[in-house]
Amino acid sequence: MSLRWRLGSVAALVLLLGYLALANFFAEERRAQAWYLPDEGLRLGLDLQGGIHLVISPDLEAAVAQELGHIEDGLAEQLEEKKITGARTFVEGNRLEVTVAAASDAQAIRELVKDYETLQVVGSDAERLTLTLTDEWRDQVHERAMLQVLEVYRRRVDDPQTGIPESVVTRQGQDRVLIQFPGISRIPDIFRKTGHLEFKLVQDADQSEELLRAKHPDGFPEGAEVVFERDKETQRILRAYLVSQTADITGDYLTDARVGFDSRQAEWQVDFTWSREGAEIFAALTEKSIDELLAIILDGQVYSAPQIRARISRSGVITGRFSSEDAADLAVILRAGALPISVNIEEERTIGPALGADSIRSGVWAAAVGLLLVVAFSVGYYRLSGGYASLSLLANLLMVVGLMSLFEGTLTLPGIAGLVLTVGMAIDANVIIFERIREELRGGKAPRPAIATGFRKALWTILDANITTLITALVLYEYGTGPIKGFAVTLSVGILTSVFAALVITRLAFAVYPGTRHVEQLSI
Amino acid sequence: MPFQIVKPGTQFDFLGKWRICVTISALLVLIGLLGIQVRGFRLGIDFAGGTEVQVRFLDAGGVHEGDIREVVSGLGIPNASVTRFGGADSQEFLIKFRGGRETEAVAEPDASGDAAAEDVETAGEAAEDRIFLLQETLEETIGPLEVQRVEFVGPKVGAELREDGVKAMAIACMLILIYIGFRFSLRFAPGAVIALIHDVTITSSVWILLGLEFDLRVLAALLAIIGYSLNDTIIVYDRIRENMELRTKYDLKEVLNRSVNQTLSRTLLTSLTTLAAVLSLLVLGGAVIRPFALAMAIGILVGTYSSIYIASPSLLWLETRFGGGSDGPRAIAREAPKRETPKRSTAKTAKAGSRRRRRPS
Repeated sequence: MSLRWRLGSVAALVLLLGYLALANFFAEERRAQAWYLPDEGLRLGLDLQGGIHLVISPDLEAAVAQELGHIEDGLAEQLEEKKITGARTFVEGNRLEVTVAAASDAQAIRELVKDYETLQVVGSDAERLTLTLTDEWRDQVHERAMLQVLEVYRRRVDDPQTGIPESVVTRQGQDRVLIQFPGISRIPDIFRKTGHLEFKLVQDADQSEELLRAKHPDGFPEGAEVVFERDKETQRILRAYLVSQTADITGDYLTDARVGFDSRQAEWQVDFTWSREGAEIFAALTEKSIDELLAIILDGQVYSAPQIRARISRSGVITGRFSSEDAADLAVILRAGALPISVNIEEERTIGPALGADSIRSGVWAAAVGLLLVVAFSVGYYRLSGGYASLSLLANLLMVVGLMSLFEGTLTLPGIAGLVLTVGMAIDANVIIFERIREELRGGKAPRPAIATGFRKALWTILDANITTLITALVLYEYGTGPIKGFAVTLSVGILTSVFAALVITRLAFAVYPGTRHVEQLSI
Repeated sequence: MPFQIVKPGTQFDFLGKWRICVTISALLVLIGLLGIQVRGFRLGIDFAGGTEVQVRFLDAGGVHEGDIREVVSGLGIPNASVTRFGGADSQEFLIKFRGGRETEAVAEPDASGDAAAEDVETAGEAAEDRIFLLQETLEETIGPLEVQRVEFVGPKVGAELREDGVKAMAIACMLILIYIGFRFSLRFAPGAVIALIHDVTITSSVWILLGLEFDLRVLAALLAIIGYSLNDTIIVYDRIRENMELRTKYDLKEVLNRSVNQTLSRTLLTSLTTLAAVLSLLVLGGAVIRPFALAMAIGILVGTYSSIYIASPSLLWLETRFGGGSDGPRAIAREAPKRETPKRSTAKTAKAGSRRRRRPS
């Protein structure tokens, strides 16, 4: 290729990537309006724009226990049909235990269990049969629970009223959910709740659990539990209710929930609508229990326990001394549905927007000063050749930012550190070449052959040195998490472009001057 | 001739000083080990699990560490540390403690079983979310605040990150050993890896002596050091190979010494420029990135030292110890692959693979 072609194509490449890099210096609205600006720029990581990075793990074992519970119900029914008395079933962790009174029953149950394709017998003796889900079915139960959890979070995030725009809910690995909220620094209330809504008839109520116990000297009736209504601010117990452990109806039957306002009480409330099936259950429930109290329980906490005054079917309201935000949050949770199982927060990384902006500022400063130091050194030490190196360093930076913008890469604070490090390391390749050229010159070579030998002999040294760094960057990408991955990305891209910059752009500069001219002295 | 950092034709006897250098390095490692005893091997929350909350109070002035400590202990959070962040009158504080948002032992299995199926126990969640409680309580008792930063790592994730960190270091070292083995000869590789382990160990020792915590940022720095400190070593090794190819008979020690001398300016200059960039990051880059920059700076210094004083002596030692006498050095030169035009491929595996095939056995 002629020099002109080489020069032209390299300049075109650098200018194109430089143009793409340009996007990052303009606000997004400006970019969208101006046709001459590229649309896509670097995305800022949550550590730069501020936001919350949450890793959540659903309690998948609970999903297995739930599934076993359903199977147990069916099994118990069948045992009754077959008149196998004396057999008792219960779920313990991920096992379903069946105890029998007679050995003949054990055989009958074993026959019965054979029809369950989802169960396997893992242990048995004369009185007891231990069952678990088959591995395949357990995996399916896990998978279904994961999908449900993801779906519920997505609905909450996307809710038009209280959702958080641009949030991301993704699955991480087999059993984790990654949620990213940009621009906020406190986890919104709607993500702190499971959203399990239950309606339960109140059997008894008093000011505290002790007083309730005093009323029932023989202990609470079987299958009953105590739930509390607490003050929202102080968490002080306002009232204790004795209710059944099983709900009379749950939030699963809701089709809609909206914020409403009760003008007589001047209170915010949540209006809800049952599905057809839910309406039937609710109508039957309210009809037979007029004048009783109905506790509305969300995630184990009583919101309110109004008195049933008439038969209600299709719709109802939930009151509970709500602020307008509380009511809105509750409506969203009810609309999005309950999480099928409880979840644990495994990891959280939150950066406030102010700190993020600080980080960008100081990162850009560090990069600028680092660049200046390196340019000053190379021009001071290598004169004109140092100027070439600086030129290729600038082109290198444009290429890194341009390439990352092109692929809509995410820039994180460690990513900026990677850029600064790239500035320091990119000049290394030039130093290796220049020192070699100097050595050749000292050996008595003329400038032009010295340049050629310098580049040739430095080639593999540069490649080796950069490939080893690339190896560690790739390993870091594989094993790093979150922002650290950003470091690995900028470092990897920076290594590739800096090799190109040193071997192609710096070399091209020498081809322009001295090029084919005969020179006595080389400014190096 | 223009200014030069190293006068051409220097003849320092670097290899003659190997006893001193090995002693110095061994001492540093020993001091580091002692440092673990004295200072303790401190893991940051990334690896140990726990919480760091950084808050800034919006009302001007008047908040002291003591006020926050009172709130923290009032909430029953044990072993928390509270430090002021920034200047003496800044209203920013860093609160660290173990635990955080995890909910301990929820969902007690129900005896009858059927409730467990329907009922999801979550009442414990709000009560044990210490971060949430802390923020609320601080705001109520002290005043409005802005959450600057929250980092919480649960015990499970902490253990995973710890495991991944060790794995990453080991894999990086192994891949580099393999790469150097292919590019040079298997006899060069151990020397390079000794230098590399040396760099990581000494940097860690210094880190322990400074009483600093190991976290993900430091891990990133250590990995970058593994890759970077090798650059200088490669410059020297490349020259050693070149010098070996020049002649058929030579004194290995003399060749090594000459190679180190010839590349000395390169080794120093490349480290200097990178150090300049890293120092600018250290001074200007902000508090979050500072540990990374500091570890990196230490690593660059140690890496430069090791590529001059450790990498070549290790090579010499390995050769005279295991190399099989005078034939050894020549074997290295013979084994060294001839230079060839590089393929426009940067995929390391592809390169290693094609090289293996081309190589005569």
